[in-house]
Parts: sequence; structure tokens; C-alpha cells
Amino acid sequence: MDTFVTWLQATRLSQAIVYNTWIWPACETLHFIGLALVIGIVGFFDLRLIGFFRRVSVNAARELMPFAIAGFALNLSTGLVFLIGHPEQYAHNIAFWYKVGSLALAGLNAAIFETWVGARTVHVGAGDDTPLSAKAFGVVSIAAWFSVLVWGRMLPFVGNAF
Amino acid sequence: MMAWLEGTGLATWVRESPSLWAYPTILTLHTVGLGIVVGASAVVDFRLLGFARRVRLIDLSPLFGMMAWAFLLNATTGILLFIADATTKSRQPVFYVKLSLIFVALWCTFATRRIIREGNPAPGAESAPSKGGRLAVLSLLLWAGAITAGRLMAYL
Repeated sequence: MDTFVTWLQATRLSQAIVYNTWIWPACETLHFIGLALVIGIVGFFDLRLIGFFRRVSVNAARELMPFAIAGFALNLSTGLVFLIGHPEQYAHNIAFWYKVGSLALAGLNAAIFETWVGARTVHVGAGDDTPLSAKAFGVVSIAAWFSVLVWGRMLPFVGNAF
Repeated sequence: MMAWLEGTGLATWVRESPSLWAYPTILTLHTVGLGIVVGASAVVDFRLLGFARRVRLIDLSPLFGMMAWAFLLNATTGILLFIADATTKSRQPVFYVKLSLIFVALWCTFATRRIIREGNPAPGAESAPSKGGRLAVLSLLLWAGAITAGRLMAYL
């Protein structure tokens, strides 16, 4: 790990990120905008799965998902910029690994939902309640995404990396 | 006035307490609130722009209640973050830019809510009123601007 961190820090890309003073704040700003898109749109769908917004059909509630995916793509790319720029800040920071774990949980949850439960909830129309399994996936998703947010924001304060 | 604010016990605790429950948690809650306010707002705005037309605008009404609670959280945590560093923050032009953007964005949110309540759209696929579309673009830009100004407070 440390060999990789040292190698990454020495790359031109990493140094360019660190030496251009505007890159970091610009990526942070985009990271926060992407965060809002993911939380808002995924959160809305999750709340429908849990049983709120019942007058909206599950299928209709997921129609905004491309914006969440765009927000996630934005955050994945800006997140990579942070990692490449200052890998030493993250490699040994427990908050970062909690964040990665929460991301993995959110991703795994979504993948299982899509392949297993998703097909059944497609038919949950306006006014209908969702099956218990769908509610469980909604709860895990919303908890995992807020956990990603919380550990990301806590990064500079946990451990001594920053 | 700013120096007095900064010297109060509460401000000193926010700024100097080594506890994760002080500054770090307050800042994190401010980000949680941001995600809910701007995210819920974006859901309404994208719908007004014509996406997810099968969702009736009126059925999105509960989002405004969530925005209100999250905004209250951010006003509270925002005041705490401000008093902890009042002398510096009160002299930052970008702080006033952020506040102004938030006030106009709030006006947008209230105007949007009024349109949705009065519009009472019929079931099925109706197109968004064009005034709503303009408000939606304005709202998205203002919130993105407020986020940018907020983030830049750490740098300017």
C-alpha cells in the first residue's frame, strides 16, 4: 500500500492536481453538487420503496435515476482526483475505508435489488404498497448513502492524516 | 459584536472542543441538510423541466416539508459554524454571496410550491407550466451557486 501511495504521489498527474490551486476547490464543489443529486434522487426512490410517496408508481419514481447516475459519475471522477492528488491522506484513514465500505454496501444492495426484487416492484403502481423485501432494500440504500456522506465529511477529522 | 459572538461559550465550544461531536458533527449535519434541501429541490425541478412526467407534480408536495426541516437544520448548524469564526466569516464577501443566493433560491422554492398547489394538474402526463420550467432552471443554478460559494468560503 505505502509503495503504491509513494509511486502515485510521484506521478505527474498527482503533482499537477496538487500544484494547480484551483483544481481541488473546483472538484470539491462538483463533489458536493453530485452528492446532492445522489442523495435527492436515490433518496426519493428509496422512500417510495419504503412506502412513502405512495401515489407515485415505483416505475415513475425511478425515471429520474439517470440524474443520480450522472451525479455519481461526477463524484467518482472528482473523488479519484482527490485520491490521486493526496493518496497519503486516505490510505490510512479509517473514515475513508468506512466510506468505501458504505459505497460497496450501497452498490451491492442496488445490484441485488435490480436483479432479484426489481422485477417484482416494477408492477407496484400508484397507490400500491411495496413488498417487505423492497422496503428492506430501500432502508439499506438510504442508510448506506447517508453513511457515505457522513464518513466522507468526517474524513479530515478522523485520524491524523489531514 | 462579531468578536463578542466568537467569544461566547457556545462559539468557543464549537471551535475548540476536541470532541468529534463539536465542529466535525455540526459540519457533517450541515452537509446532510444540504443534500436533502438541494436534492429534494432537484427532484421537483427535474420534474418541472419535463422529466419523469408520469409523476404528478402534486404528489411531490411532501418533499417541501422535508426541505423545510432540512433547511431548519442547516440554518441552525450554519449559525453555529458562523459564530465559531464570526470575525473572519463576517468579513468574507463570498459569505454574503452565499447568503444572497440562498435567499433567492428560497424565494424560488416558495414560488414553485405555489405553482404546484395552484396548478392542481390532472392525472396522467401533463406538461409542466413554462413558468415552472423557468423557476426550475433558476432554482438548480441558484443552489449550485450557493454550494459553490459555501465551498469557496474555505478558500477565499
